[in-house]
Amino acid sequence: MSQKEELLNRIRKHTLQTFEMPDLQMETLTYADKLQSFQEVLKQMGGEAVVLQPGEEIDQVIRRLHPDAQRIASNLPQIRCATFNPDEVADPRELDGTDVAIVQAEFGVVENGAVWLPARVKYKALYFIPTALVILLQKEEIVSNMYEAYRRLAAQQSDYAYGVFMSGPSKTADIEQALVFGAHGPMRVTVILTD
Amino acid sequence: MSTKHAETATRFLADRAEEKWHDETLWMVRAKRDKMSRSLPEWEELREKASQIKLYSNSHLADLLEEFERHATANGAIVHWAKDAEEHNAIVEQILQQHQAKVMIKSKSMLTEECGMNAYLMEKGYDIIESDLGERILQWMHKHPSHIVMPAIHIKRQEVGRMMEQVLGTEKGNADPTYLTHAVRKDMRQKFLTADVAMTGANFAVASTGEIVVCTNEGNADMGTSFPKVHIATMGMEKIVPNQESLGIFVRLLARSGTGQPSTAYTAHYRKPMNGQEFHIIIVDHGRSDILGNPEHFRTLNCIRCGQCMNTCPVYRRSGGYSYTYFIPGPIGINLGMLRDPKQYADNLSACSLCLSCSNVCPAKVDLGEQIYRWRQQLDSLGKANPTKKLMSQGMKYLMERPPLFNTALKLAPVVNHLPRPLIYHALNAWGQGREMPRFAKQSFNEMWKKNQVQK
Repeated sequence: MSQKEELLNRIRKHTLQTFEMPDLQMETLTYADKLQSFQEVLKQMGGEAVVLQPGEEIDQVIRRLHPDAQRIASNLPQIRCATFNPDEVADPRELDGTDVAIVQAEFGVVENGAVWLPARVKYKALYFIPTALVILLQKEEIVSNMYEAYRRLAAQQSDYAYGVFMSGPSKTADIEQALVFGAHGPMRVTVILTD
Repeated sequence: MSTKHAETATRFLADRAEEKWHDETLWMVRAKRDKMSRSLPEWEELREKASQIKLYSNSHLADLLEEFERHATANGAIVHWAKDAEEHNAIVEQILQQHQAKVMIKSKSMLTEECGMNAYLMEKGYDIIESDLGERILQWMHKHPSHIVMPAIHIKRQEVGRMMEQVLGTEKGNADPTYLTHAVRKDMRQKFLTADVAMTGANFAVASTGEIVVCTNEGNADMGTSFPKVHIATMGMEKIVPNQESLGIFVRLLARSGTGQPSTAYTAHYRKPMNGQEFHIIIVDHGRSDILGNPEHFRTLNCIRCGQCMNTCPVYRRSGGYSYTYFIPGPIGINLGMLRDPKQYADNLSACSLCLSCSNVCPAKVDLGEQIYRWRQQLDSLGKANPTKKLMSQGMKYLMERPPLFNTALKLAPVVNHLPRPLIYHALNAWGQGREMPRFAKQSFNEMWKKNQVQK
């Protein structure tokens, strides 16, 4: 008998009473003004949100946010201020030293200021290695909470090798519960809300 | 006779300032949790659903694990099964050998702690690097976690600063958390880029998709898995949830319960290996299938390791994680220790006031306090009953069964009020240690009742 079968048999033998799967349908807290609330929560999580104004270019916003950035990575065709395409490097280690990366989120979540980033880049390191991360998000693509977020992923049968819900910058409170941003990932996270 | 917990707690309590800080800091986390839970009208419904999903998944565990394995394998992962800690460690070692790996970078995992994996591998010459800041601090200090979510909660910033002067050459006397954290960031960056193998735990494993979910605030798990050619994820078999909709329930509860945040900064989903990476998933039993067959204690398998039962526990807050003899402290640790080895870990049962605060905050409704109560009923049969207390209860039983004797004893009791202090406060009277004894009333309730003196 294989290790797996032995283990599964043991589980089956030890299972006492069986319980039914509950109905997961439920009422959840939703937000009247999702755009406004998303920005507020993201701020609480240590991130920032910028609403792209009519006539304004995304490049302008990025330049305004990061005037001193030297190495700017993006594989998005509309980002002209990028200095290189991160998908074209031979090894993800070459991404170390990236000042700013610009990536596209699929949707946002109000209750935790998160964005869903399924890996649409060659190296997922891009989401974690730059000093600052700029995330583009369409204003219309915001759900209220994680309950809705996962139902959306399930309904779309979304396929991804890797995906992350990211709420603001990397942080820690492991020294005396004092909050510090920039533990290992980006120090700064900005979500640009686009039409 | 004191339990080991009481003895070590006494040492923790000797530093009053530290004890107060520990108590207040953890209570602050509990208060943050309350604020979070009250912000959601559906909070109690979420807890109920989480509990029901866990009861379902743990009672259909074999089927769900098979479903998980089928999907994970189709996704390109390699699934391993380990019946105990020994097999788990051997599997990890074998993977390291196959890749001629020397350095493994890992994120936080209570399971690897449970398996004693780091010590096992380091003895064999492997370099195991903990990448979570708290765990890294402990690794440098050769210490173990005192809390499952805030592992270094018992260590002060000055100690961290002094230690980092030695290991990282940080500025002398600088104990600023931001400065120290960024010094580790810089050092760890090189380790992330050069490690041979990455390891993570798993907060959840989704049967319907074959993916694992890892929650961190630091992003250390995701940085760690971004460069090496191999990722090993290890999970206790009860981490299974049926589907993505279930995740929607648990993810809403986990960080709100654990640290009072709406969610961790990163909720990462690992489904398929990327860029030619090898993705191994180890499913570990190590006693979990025995818990499954324990009618009084199988609900401990509902636990999602948020750590809130520690933060709310009046005993944990005032005695610290190291006062417990099992590697997981607090209410959940008391129970898991008893399930591991009741004779070895029975001392921890005294670390409970039966206030049931733990049961009331548990996001997956583990009946933690009630289980501790049930374990206590078995102390005598385990040969672990406190002889003094046993003698006292036998005396009380004798007295209670003889009303005239009982009433005489009651009449005489107020005499104690006039005894000199050394006769009341001495080593044999545990109740008189660290507190003032209440005074006996001049007359008993019974007497007052008979004399019609009781006001209705």
